[in-house]
Amino acid sequence: MSQKKAPYELPIGPIHPALKEPINFTFTMNGEVIEEVDFAPGRAHRGIEWMGMRRNPVQILHLCDRICGICGVHHALVFAQAVEQIAEIEVPDRAYYVRTIIAEFERIQSHILWAGVAAHELGFDTLFYLAWQLREESVDVIEYITGNRVNYGIIMLGGTRRDITPDMFPRLEQALQYYEGLLEKMINLFLHDKTIAMRCKNTGILTKRRALELATVGPTSRASGLAMDVRIDSPYAAYGDLDFDIVLPDIYSSETTGDVYDRIVVRIFEIKQSIDIIRQCMKQMPDGPVLAEEKYAKLLMNLKKASGEAFARVEAPRGEDMHYVRMNGKQEAPEMWKVKASTYSNQMAWVEILKGEQIADIPIIVASIDPCMSCTDRVAVVSHEGHTGILTKEHLHRLSVEKTRRLQA
Amino acid sequence: MRATMTPQELADRFVTRFGSRVQNVLVKEWCEGTKKLPQKTVWMTVPREILTDAVAELISIDYPHLGVIAASDTGDMIDLLYHLQVFFGGKHEEINVVFTVQVPKSDPHVPTISGLIPGAVYSEREKQDMIGVIVDGIPDSRRIFLPDDFPSGVYPWRKDDKGIPQSMVKELWKVDRPTDRPAPPVAEPEPAQDIEPESPRAASGGATE
Amino acid sequence: MKLSPSLNRSLWVFHVNSGSCNGCDIEIVAALCPRYDPERFGIKLVGSPRHADVLLVTGPVTHQMRDRVKRVYEQMAAPKVVMCVGTCGQSGGVFYESYNLDGPLDQVIPVDVYVPGCAPRPEAIIYGVVQAIAKLERLEKEGKS
Repeated sequence: MSQKKAPYELPIGPIHPALKEPINFTFTMNGEVIEEVDFAPGRAHRGIEWMGMRRNPVQILHLCDRICGICGVHHALVFAQAVEQIAEIEVPDRAYYVRTIIAEFERIQSHILWAGVAAHELGFDTLFYLAWQLREESVDVIEYITGNRVNYGIIMLGGTRRDITPDMFPRLEQALQYYEGLLEKMINLFLHDKTIAMRCKNTGILTKRRALELATVGPTSRASGLAMDVRIDSPYAAYGDLDFDIVLPDIYSSETTGDVYDRIVVRIFEIKQSIDIIRQCMKQMPDGPVLAEEKYAKLLMNLKKASGEAFARVEAPRGEDMHYVRMNGKQEAPEMWKVKASTYSNQMAWVEILKGEQIADIPIIVASIDPCMSCTDRVAVVSHEGHTGILTKEHLHRLSVEKTRRLQA
Repeated sequence: MRATMTPQELADRFVTRFGSRVQNVLVKEWCEGTKKLPQKTVWMTVPREILTDAVAELISIDYPHLGVIAASDTGDMIDLLYHLQVFFGGKHEEINVVFTVQVPKSDPHVPTISGLIPGAVYSEREKQDMIGVIVDGIPDSRRIFLPDDFPSGVYPWRKDDKGIPQSMVKELWKVDRPTDRPAPPVAEPEPAQDIEPESPRAASGGATE
Repeated sequence: MKLSPSLNRSLWVFHVNSGSCNGCDIEIVAALCPRYDPERFGIKLVGSPRHADVLLVTGPVTHQMRDRVKRVYEQMAAPKVVMCVGTCGQSGGVFYESYNLDGPLDQVIPVDVYVPGCAPRPEAIIYGVVQAIAKLERLEKEGKS
């Protein structure tokens, strides 16, 4: 059987926001089937950790928001948690609940965003536009609470900068009821559709053992049956007080295969879980202030004297997000700051799940782990090896769409 | 019930197994939320010679999830911190374990753990690029995040003379507006309009734009 | 429906992410969605720079992406308009100093329209595209690129 090495420029879909920059995969093909995969990450490397070591923690908080536009508030939250551990700042109870509500709304909008992108990869453009229209409701609520659609700037060391007062609850409740009414429709459109089932079942399989060995996180690992969720394992913010269960694919299907279909199941049911969590938060919120130290000058003075090391983890929409901070008490800037975003851990799964698959399935499999390359802080260029058989992204996308039409006929 | 031991028992097991070679064994807890449920962490300093044995010991307790390998420059030594988690999947039972490995800058070698945990390759490649440790036995040692034409011998996270020199730092805000572009069209200013005076007293005032 | 009486064709847009945080990219895609719906004006996103009239670039230009942005610019046919969306391409924004960034966008390719904001609202992006259309018309009338 002939083997040819063909470098493929592969940005996922012409309008996927996270992957407009091509990740250069190098595939070794055997006919239509992929035998070996190699790729190199690292094209959005802006040197954020290096920048962080020259700024004071409040400035770093605003930098954290912009590590990623889709899961920005989680980065800010985890950095704040790490610094609060070092400086031993006591966060008021109400602030924990406000943080939880914002984090869950961000999860809802991120999962719906991904659902639209997955539909686009399969060729269902109408579903893509419908999903993004649904997403607008959660973005409106986020704007109502924080004042901005992206980059909220609401987390501060010691709490949050704004409060969610009880007169804002009716607006939140309206959004939650909107999504509850639509959940049945989304399940119908995504999970009961025959073509999506045919394309996504038994594609891109990641077994539980391999998911554990490759250190995958988030919905990618939960879809393979690995019960890993930072909100339940090591609860942070208000999650320890709330009552919710982990979402595994057997909530919907009878068995867990770890394919693309299971990942869709996990994400859609996590939207339902988020609605439930926000309702519990609104009911249980205690009264009180939302910021431990209102005067920033005093806060910065305290932070300058803080020393120690700590790490914190949160469950971002894509998985576990971890920051490690070390401060030495002699300067404002941290001595060391390490960011580990969720896609950092999930990228190695690509090599595993793409082997043995067909070319036409590449876009949906690559998108199924919900990659966010800017979170990984980098994407690298793989050198081109030859020029035989370059497939452009349009060609790959067209192959994927054609396969859907073939299955529908 | 996933957890088979408490954090203190886990720490004691390592002390029993490795004796005085593991140092600074600490069990820390951090509580958040109104119910103050603890996040449990076991910290210990492990010499690099027994790193693989320590990871194997942890695997025998429960196959861990590797978070990340963090690194810090502390003058003469480089600290590598291996963040691992065990006993996830239950309810509030997870224990974080951190192995701190100190390598001297004069001999920055550290053995790989990717034989035991294949998912460590990424983190180890990143440490090679960013802080200049050399991981022995790593299956794939290409550059991972820095561009291919990045000068070798320069490590962004180092604080000594091998860090980023000032000549490599670009300050984007200091760049002036480009001078070779055509001037933008400027709209004609709107002619000033007289506001209808609301009362006879303001009639002599005229427009107040 | 036409945005201006003299524009006789639809405007095709190509988007390049030169290392941004994806905030601006999401707002660009949200600007194309049914809520704002610029497709009724004929504005749509295409998959290849050779078909496009307007180039949208987001992000501070990282070292690895610099050549690619230049190549994309050269592949577009005149008359063409370049829009820089987001503050990081204009002055660095929060990334005001770094070892891996190659300067604001106008040091790499000539820029015609700047849309500031972090991230700019979809309405601002559409307004920027309208300004780009107006410039394109002026360029066509003058007959040079």
